[in-house]
Amino acid sequence: MSAPEPILHLDRMTLTARIGGAAVEVLRDICLAVPGGRIVGLVGESGAGKSMIGKVIAGLQPPGFDVTGGQVLFRGRPLPGSRGDLLGRDIAFIPQDPLSALNPVLTIGQQFDEHLARLGTARAARRSAMLSALGRVGLVDPQALCRRYPHQLSGGQCQRVLIALAFASRPGLVVADEPTSALDVVSQALIMRVLAGEQRSYGTAVLLITHDLRLAAHVCDEVAVMYAGEVVEQGPADAVLRRPLHPYTRGLRDAMPPLHGPRRALPAIGEFMPGLQALAQISGCRYAARCPVRSPECVRSRLALRERAPRQFVRCGVACSETVQAGVSDAGGGAHGGPTGRPDWDGGRTSGPDRNGGPKSGADGNGGRTSGADGNGVFTSGPHQAVPLLEFRDVDLCYESPRGLLGRRRGAVQAVRAASFRVDPGESVGIVGESGSGKSSIARLALGLELPTAGRVLVDGADLHLGAGRTSAGAPSGLRIVFQDPQSALNPRRRVARLVTQIMEAPDHRRPLPDRLARALELLQQTGLPADCMSRYPSQLSGGQRQRVNIARALCVTPRLLVADEIVSGLDVSVQSQILNLLDRLRRSLGLALLFISHDLSVVRYLCERVLVMHRGRIVESASTEDVFLRPREPYTRMLIGALPPEDPDQQWPPAADAIAADAVAAAAAPAG
Amino acid sequence: MNDMSPALWLSRGTALAQFRAASDSREVRIGAVIVGAVALIAVLAPWIAPNDPQNQDLLSTLLPPAWSSGGDARYPLGTDSLGRCVLSRTLFGARIALTVALCAAVGAAVAGSVLALIAGYAGGRVDWLVSRAVDAWMAFPPVVLSLLLMVGLGTGVFNVVLSIVLVDWTRFCRVVRAEVLVVRRRDYVAAARLLGFTHFQIVLREVLPAVVPLIITLVSLEMGIAVIVEATLSFVGLSVPASAVAWGMMIADARSTMHEAVWGMAAPVLAIFITVMGFNVLGDGLRQSTDPRLRNVRA
Repeated sequence: MSAPEPILHLDRMTLTARIGGAAVEVLRDICLAVPGGRIVGLVGESGAGKSMIGKVIAGLQPPGFDVTGGQVLFRGRPLPGSRGDLLGRDIAFIPQDPLSALNPVLTIGQQFDEHLARLGTARAARRSAMLSALGRVGLVDPQALCRRYPHQLSGGQCQRVLIALAFASRPGLVVADEPTSALDVVSQALIMRVLAGEQRSYGTAVLLITHDLRLAAHVCDEVAVMYAGEVVEQGPADAVLRRPLHPYTRGLRDAMPPLHGPRRALPAIGEFMPGLQALAQISGCRYAARCPVRSPECVRSRLALRERAPRQFVRCGVACSETVQAGVSDAGGGAHGGPTGRPDWDGGRTSGPDRNGGPKSGADGNGGRTSGADGNGVFTSGPHQAVPLLEFRDVDLCYESPRGLLGRRRGAVQAVRAASFRVDPGESVGIVGESGSGKSSIARLALGLELPTAGRVLVDGADLHLGAGRTSAGAPSGLRIVFQDPQSALNPRRRVARLVTQIMEAPDHRRPLPDRLARALELLQQTGLPADCMSRYPSQLSGGQRQRVNIARALCVTPRLLVADEIVSGLDVSVQSQILNLLDRLRRSLGLALLFISHDLSVVRYLCERVLVMHRGRIVESASTEDVFLRPREPYTRMLIGALPPEDPDQQWPPAADAIAADAVAAAAAPAG
Repeated sequence: MNDMSPALWLSRGTALAQFRAASDSREVRIGAVIVGAVALIAVLAPWIAPNDPQNQDLLSTLLPPAWSSGGDARYPLGTDSLGRCVLSRTLFGARIALTVALCAAVGAAVAGSVLALIAGYAGGRVDWLVSRAVDAWMAFPPVVLSLLLMVGLGTGVFNVVLSIVLVDWTRFCRVVRAEVLVVRRRDYVAAARLLGFTHFQIVLREVLPAVVPLIITLVSLEMGIAVIVEATLSFVGLSVPASAVAWGMMIADARSTMHEAVWGMAAPVLAIFITVMGFNVLGDGLRQSTDPRLRNVRA
């Protein structure tokens, strides 16, 4: 490689752990060079070992994990056993969860000052150094910010403070471990912009650990794709995204729902990644069990990384020959969708997009109308023949903070303002917005878990809350919710069979035991779970399997409307694509209506015919998915779409600061909820 | 796992599985052996005690243990100031101690947990009321409270149990309520509500099973506390009637003669020590193996 002298060089590094008496190569044969002034991405799903590399660099690998082969070179010399002075000075870290990385009992100013003092900055110079560093990362009013505590800032602000801290010492290397995966798309774009800006101006080398291949392709110069502790593909970032050679990289890329072009079933990667214990048994390619193009040879022998295209290294024997061409043509078709690639939304069902479309004519010239407050007429237009399954009319929801000791209210948060929309039978509607925009409150209102402070929620044309007080009699008939986090939504003390048929214990749906078992088996088949899951507990299932159980439970007595609250956001892309395909299939086969809540526009585009865009409690735009993507009316919607890393690596991303910052500033000025 | 009958897939009984897993813990096993031994002694006391614990042998008072000079083989641990067999009294003392410990701990657990479930699940005013009651209750010195209660109720095993329950229900209430608050916010509780279950069913099927391991752990710790409280009360003569045998009473009796006959004091103190330690080790082990944060979930 013609790149400059690498700052960090992992030279055939192998990390071995002893698990249950057997030695497992947790990381195997990792070759990675991070040259000065470059951003190198480490991409992979959870469990691939990418965070472990970060830990090895910090010298913080768990006890019993030892580097048994190769070496880790920093500035040409092996990293000393105790990192000592290097960390926080020449090697800085940006953590995944910004809130837990800052000390909650010290103000931002105190923490920054402490860090500068440790770096040896003179007392007199610290204040100005701190203010200029915070200003550089785009934080407005650093003076005021310094006096605040971490919990008073948003996640994005905390992360920017941490970036400022990391670059304060002008380090040679910054390791950023999933710096944006706890944030929504807008903050993510902003953080990436700031990170890339700091990196460029100081010429720092950055190792960016992420699960998002698209993001890595835009931000990084080079990427290394990891699978089960091995680098499977490595090369220039845009080449890897445009023309992935390894079947796993290709699977990763294709599993992400496209932002343009016709809709297609997502090619899902089956199964899931082997755990640490299973790794010891695999002698050949670690991906072979899930690989669509494996040969018997793959299972037997271990391969080295080989250069298959200019500077693109692949650990696969089959990868190159026949599959390259397919990859190229595929990428070309997917990248430039534009208006020509009209999506095939209809999918053979009667309710097409035109039936649900909002007002389209002249909408572009009407950008100033950001409020949805002016009534029903704006968004629900056109004659609807049927009674809507679910209808919101000018619904407000106001959370009052708990009474203090003396019974005084400490203020209130307006979670939903004047929301009006309808969901017709069999329709799939998406709700998108940043975190805190009131999406989940809509779900809770629809199910009667919250009472509207004003307005009406109607199910089948009848008021949900007419004098009923808090509903204890369960959800409105035919409505079921799938909660976001299966960990919390599944009682860990119930076996799967008992979980999915839980409703049959309720008086209205009571069934005898054999019926329950038969139904449970049916549900498992419907949601693609193996039958031997029946007797397991949720803790014995993988994340994707748990989400399937979560969905199966909602289907036990077939609902008419399924409310899904961020149900794929905690999942790896390969699992996400499985769940999305499952939902789509179920929706068509059972004729369900779907209210799908997500912060990820690409996912909503994949599943929904119509989209509601929410911003700070208001529905600011409501139109068919096609219109929202191709002809967004509101600047806010345009910003949301612009914040997504595009599929085409040539397209500019992250967007210019002012394209996203204007709103982020406004959001930051609002008091934290 | 897979050869189990399908009907069991729908059955409950995970608490049982959890405690089966708990028996792998060394602490649980040691604690269980100690507590089991004490319980066995209590049950078998009439057969294994060498003498009637109330029988006074006024000719041989304050005898030293049998192995030291001047000891009598009939009284392995010697006699007290009234010539009663120390060993027999210690063995019989286990009966009162364990009866009180078991009844008081279970009673306090039931009272405290029921209130905690109601307060934690209902929230709002009910929770406020129960929590303030617990605060006020705990602000009162517990020993004084139980002394007052005993004075008011009079002596007797049942009254001892009652007074311990009335003092210690707060301990359960506070800890269990905190756990109920956590469980209640889980989505599976909301999910059960949306499936149409009544609040009573939800508490019984979703919330209670989640706090049962905690309650059982607390019970085992509370039993140790009850042993001490009972000994304290009988030390001041406010526990069981004088006709019964209790360790606290033995200590009180031996106090005046402890310079001449230290063994009369040592035997009941050691008995209390071993019993309480048994409960504490057991409780600690149970807490570690049933606390989801400390346990490696595998079932």
